[in-house]
Amino acid sequence: MKKHFVLIIICAAVFIAAAVSSVVMLNAPAGDIVKIKSNGELLYTIDLSNSPDRTIIVEYNGKENTLEIKDHKIRVLEADCPDKVCVNTGWLDSPAIPIICLPNKLIIEFENNDADAAAR
Amino acid sequence: MRKFVVVFVCCILFFCGCADSVHESVSDISGAQSNNVSLHTAELFAMDTYMTLKAYCADDNPLNSAQAIIESLEKELSVTSSDSDISRLNNAQGEEIVLNYDCAELIKNALDLCERTSGALDITIYPILREWGFTTGDYKIPVPENIRSLLTNVNYSAVSAAENSVQLPSGYMIDLGAVAKGYTSDKIISMFKESGITSAIISLGGNVHTLGSKPDGSAWKIALTDPNLPQTYIGNLEIVDKAVITSGSYERYFTGDDGTRYCHIISPFDGHPINNGIASVTVIGDSGVLCDALSTALFVMGKEAAVEHWRKHCDFEMIIITDGGKVFVTEGIHNSFSLSRVYEKSKLEVIYR
Repeated sequence: MKKHFVLIIICAAVFIAAAVSSVVMLNAPAGDIVKIKSNGELLYTIDLSNSPDRTIIVEYNGKENTLEIKDHKIRVLEADCPDKVCVNTGWLDSPAIPIICLPNKLIIEFENNDADAAAR
Repeated sequence: MRKFVVVFVCCILFFCGCADSVHESVSDISGAQSNNVSLHTAELFAMDTYMTLKAYCADDNPLNSAQAIIESLEKELSVTSSDSDISRLNNAQGEEIVLNYDCAELIKNALDLCERTSGALDITIYPILREWGFTTGDYKIPVPENIRSLLTNVNYSAVSAAENSVQLPSGYMIDLGAVAKGYTSDKIISMFKESGITSAIISLGGNVHTLGSKPDGSAWKIALTDPNLPQTYIGNLEIVDKAVITSGSYERYFTGDDGTRYCHIISPFDGHPINNGIASVTVIGDSGVLCDALSTALFVMGKEAAVEHWRKHCDFEMIIITDGGKVFVTEGIHNSFSLSRVYEKSKLEVIYR
């Protein structure tokens, strides 16, 4: 009888723990995981919601882009590229618009996107 | 005791099922295929844009072939690289030039579309685009005399195309920028089909082309950028087996010393950037090259003429968004289009035949 009771408690504990973690996982903000890719290669997957403030330097063909993560947001701070489109895009704030540096083949985008593609 | 083990295992299995798998694997989606297919993806930088390719297939070969198609077309069609077919043609000074198959094919295709749109699409606009600085990023408002004199060299009907050779009058230049990506996506999709793929989606710098539906049979969901607030989506389109191509004034523009905003879509009729109240035109249809060409041409025509063109031809649907944020959706596609929640339904109007 006592054995049964312990098993029920264990089952209940496992059930509750799993239920709670499932809810937490499934409700995690969809737009906080950011992917940083250089020339098609995935360099970093960062969860902005728990990432400390820091800078990341991405190098491609001797050219550098300096990325800044601050207050759970990300942007290109400086870039060795002629057009500075990536810097001028500012903070990444929408899954619709990735930060793209065409000259240095750099992409910064949110991972979760409820659409299969964006027309623009 | 055994009962509890079963319950315990069931709990674990139940919650394992909640975990989302990124790598979808689908078997026997068409019934005819016996081997497993899974999602294969590729990303590349080409034709001055960022491209993503996704296909449900057995291996990476179709994606490698797609990249080869893109690279070879880029080599032939680029207006900026000096050894492309287009550059040879633009520097031929009136001589007839023999071109590679795809380049000749696309020019002939594009000339038909120039004709169909009565010159609203004109592949000989390049010298004027260059004068405004849109080819280099060195923007300027040209002096009116320059536009007037350059306009004498803008007329698609002066281009003569034979089997695989093309002749431009001296002083003329062509640019296939308005059709190249559409043509490229057509080639990739038909190669995918020949490889037996039944489910794929590609985006060539925001020009989207889909093959079939998603493996589970549901439609592809395409987000449409709000041209008046380009960092947000204005709505979603659910499509199967279609190309979705947008031309928007927000893509490339500059603000002149006179404070006016000039966009990169230029009227072949007066040589000036279009300013007719349209912010973007999205064309949905079977053919990538048609959608690509029409998205530019309908933008140039303006809303009334675009609607007239749609009523006359039955091979495309469109969504026009104005500077004021009104959304016009043609009858054939409006059931597949939904505005994002924050946008007012009152701003949407359906156009009927």
